[in-house]
Amino acid sequence: MSSSMHPRSERPATRQPVLLLAEYSTTSHVVHAAEKVRDAGYSHWDTHTPFPIHGMDSAMGLKDSRIGWIVLVMGVLGLATGLSMYLYMNEFNYPIVVGGKPPGALPAAVPVYFELTVLFSAFGAVFGMLHLNRLPRHNHPIFESDRFRAASDDKFFVSIEACDPKFNLESTRNLLESTHPSAVELIEEKEAHSCSH
Amino acid sequence: MSTTNQMSGGSNVGRRIYRVDPSSALASAWKVAGGIGLLGAVGAAFGFVRAHDRFAYSYLFAFFAVLTLALGFLFFVLIQHLTGAGWSVTVRRLAEFFMSGLVIFPVLAIPLLLSTASLFPWMSHRGAEHGESAPAEEHHSALDFLVRDANAAPPAPPSQPAVPAMRHGGGSKAFAEELEQAEHAEHAEILHGKLGYLNRGFFYTRAVAYFAFWCWISITLFRLSTEQDKTKKLENTVKAQRLAPVATILFGLTLTFAAIDWTMALEPLWYSTMYGVYAFAAGVVAMFALLTLVALAFRRSGLMGNAITAEHFHDLGKLTFGFLIFWAYITFSQFFLVWYSNIPEELTYYHRRWPVHGGAWKVISLALFFVKFVIPFLVLLSRNVKRHTVLLAIGAAIIVVMHVVEMYWVVMPNYASGAFAPNWLDLACLLTVGGLYLAVVLRNMTAHSLIPVGDPRLERAEHFQNA
Repeated sequence: MSSSMHPRSERPATRQPVLLLAEYSTTSHVVHAAEKVRDAGYSHWDTHTPFPIHGMDSAMGLKDSRIGWIVLVMGVLGLATGLSMYLYMNEFNYPIVVGGKPPGALPAAVPVYFELTVLFSAFGAVFGMLHLNRLPRHNHPIFESDRFRAASDDKFFVSIEACDPKFNLESTRNLLESTHPSAVELIEEKEAHSCSH
Repeated sequence: MSTTNQMSGGSNVGRRIYRVDPSSALASAWKVAGGIGLLGAVGAAFGFVRAHDRFAYSYLFAFFAVLTLALGFLFFVLIQHLTGAGWSVTVRRLAEFFMSGLVIFPVLAIPLLLSTASLFPWMSHRGAEHGESAPAEEHHSALDFLVRDANAAPPAPPSQPAVPAMRHGGGSKAFAEELEQAEHAEHAEILHGKLGYLNRGFFYTRAVAYFAFWCWISITLFRLSTEQDKTKKLENTVKAQRLAPVATILFGLTLTFAAIDWTMALEPLWYSTMYGVYAFAAGVVAMFALLTLVALAFRRSGLMGNAITAEHFHDLGKLTFGFLIFWAYITFSQFFLVWYSNIPEELTYYHRRWPVHGGAWKVISLALFFVKFVIPFLVLLSRNVKRHTVLLAIGAAIIVVMHVVEMYWVVMPNYASGAFAPNWLDLACLLTVGGLYLAVVLRNMTAHSLIPVGDPRLERAEHFQNA
C-alpha cells in the first residue's frame, strides 16, 4: 500500500486516535513491554509477533482460554444428540431387530455417539475460536500502519486501543516509550473506533 | 535434600548430581522389594507343588500384568530415540530403569514355561506337525476336550433362536445331534489347522526369541544411556537413535506374538486379529500412568531438583490421556466386532467374561469401561489437571490399578470352570513377579544417576515449555 492510497490522511482535522503501536526488534523487549502494560492495568491491548513466544501468556496476564469449555459443552451435546437420536429412533419410533440385537442395544451405535461427539466438538473448537477472536472481521485500524506488516516477518509489536478506559494519549505514549521500542506510532481514523467487547 | 555426590567421580563439575543417597531408605528399597518377591516366591512355590493348575493361571496373570508394563517402558524409550525427542530427556532415565527390569523376565518365565501343560490344552497334542499321519478319528479324540470347551460356551443369546430350531421349526432331536457332531468335527478341523503354530517346540522357540530380543535391546539402550553420564559423548545418542527404527518394528512383532502365545492361546478356538494391539494399548497406557506417578514421587522427594517441571507433567498427562483413549478404542473395537457379528465361536471370549459365571466378571467388565476409562478420562480431560499434581496422580493411579485388574480379567476366566474365585496364589504370584522385577529396577536406580546428565539435550529438556 503506497501512501497515495490513504485519502483520509488529507483530512487530518476530523481524525481521532484509535490505537498506539510500539515496535520492538527483540523478543525479550516485547515480553518486558507486555509485562509493563499488563502491570499498568490496561485491558484492551495486544501483542503481535511473527511466531509464538514462550512466556508471553503470563507476561500478558492472559487467563486460560474459554475455548475448552465451549468444546466440552459442544462435545457433551454431540454425545447426547447421538444417544438420544439412536434411542428414540431404534427403541421408540421404529423398533427393529437387526442382526439379533434387541431394539435400543446401546453398543450398536457407539460409532455414531463417538462421531457426533467429535463433530460437535470440532465445530465448537473452530467456531468458538472464531467467536473468541471476534472473527471474521474485514479490517482493523492496525493495518493502517505500513510498519505493522513486519509483524509477520521480523518485528514485534504491542498495540493499545484508544477505547481502553486507561488510555490517555500522553501517558500511554510515555508508558510505551519507556519500554525501549524501536518506534511508537499513533494510528488515527476518521470515526472513533468502538471496541466490540 | 538427599542428593549427594559422594558416589560419583569429579566428572559432573558445576552441575547438579541426581543420585539416590546411599544412606537413604530408597537406596535399600530394592532389598525390601526383593524380600517381598522372595516371600511371595515361597508361597508360589508351595502352590506350584500343591495346586499346580491354579498356580499356573495365577502366575501367568502376574507375569503378564508386569511384563506388559515393563514392555511399555521399553516402548517409551524406543519412541524417544526414534523421534529424537528433547522434552523427555529428564524423565527418560526413570523409564529406562523400569525398562532395565526386563532382564529378569527370562528367570521369571521359568515357572511359567514349566506350567504350559496346565495352561495350554494344545500342548499335549503330540505329532501335530505331521497331521497327515494320524487318522481323522484320532484327532477328534485328542482335541475333544477343547471342542467340549467351545461347545459349553454360549448357546445363542436369548434374542436369537437356536440354529436348529430356526431351520426346522421345532427341529428333530436327531438333527440337532447331527448338527452338533458336524460342528464338533468342524472345530477339530479348525484346531488342527492351528497346530502348525500352536505346538510345543515352536512355542518354546518363540519364547526364547522374545526374551533374547527384549534383553538385548533393553541392556543395550540402558548401557548406552548410563555410559553417556560419564563420557558425555554424543555418539551414544546417535547409536541409540540408529537402533530405534528396527528395534521398534521388532518390539511390535515380539509383543504381538507374545500376547498371542501366552494369553490368546489359552482359548485356542478363539481369535482376535487385533489382540496384539490390545495388549500393546493396555501396557502402554499403564506405563504412562506409572511413569507419571513415579516422576511425581521423585519430584516430591526433591531428588529431581527442578529438572521435572509442570511442562513435563503436562506432556506425560497428555500421553496418558491419549493412550487411554487409544486403549478404549481398541478394547471396544475388539468387543464391538465380536458382539455385532454374534458368531458363537467368537462370542466365547466375552461370554465367559459376561453372563456365564455370575456377577463378578460382569462387574469387572463394566468396571473396565467405567473405572478404567470414563473416570480417568474425565479426571485427565482438563489442561490444568495435567499440570497440577494431585488429580493427575489420582487419575494415573486408577489406571495402574485397573491394569492389574484387567490382566486378571484376561487370564483367569480360562481357569477351570471360569468362575470368579480369587485365590491367595494370585497375590503370592503378583508379589513374586512384581517384587523381583522392582528389585532389579530399584537396584539400578541406586547405582545410576536419576537423570541422563550426559545427554546433550538435557539443558533444553529442563527449560522446555508447551507452546
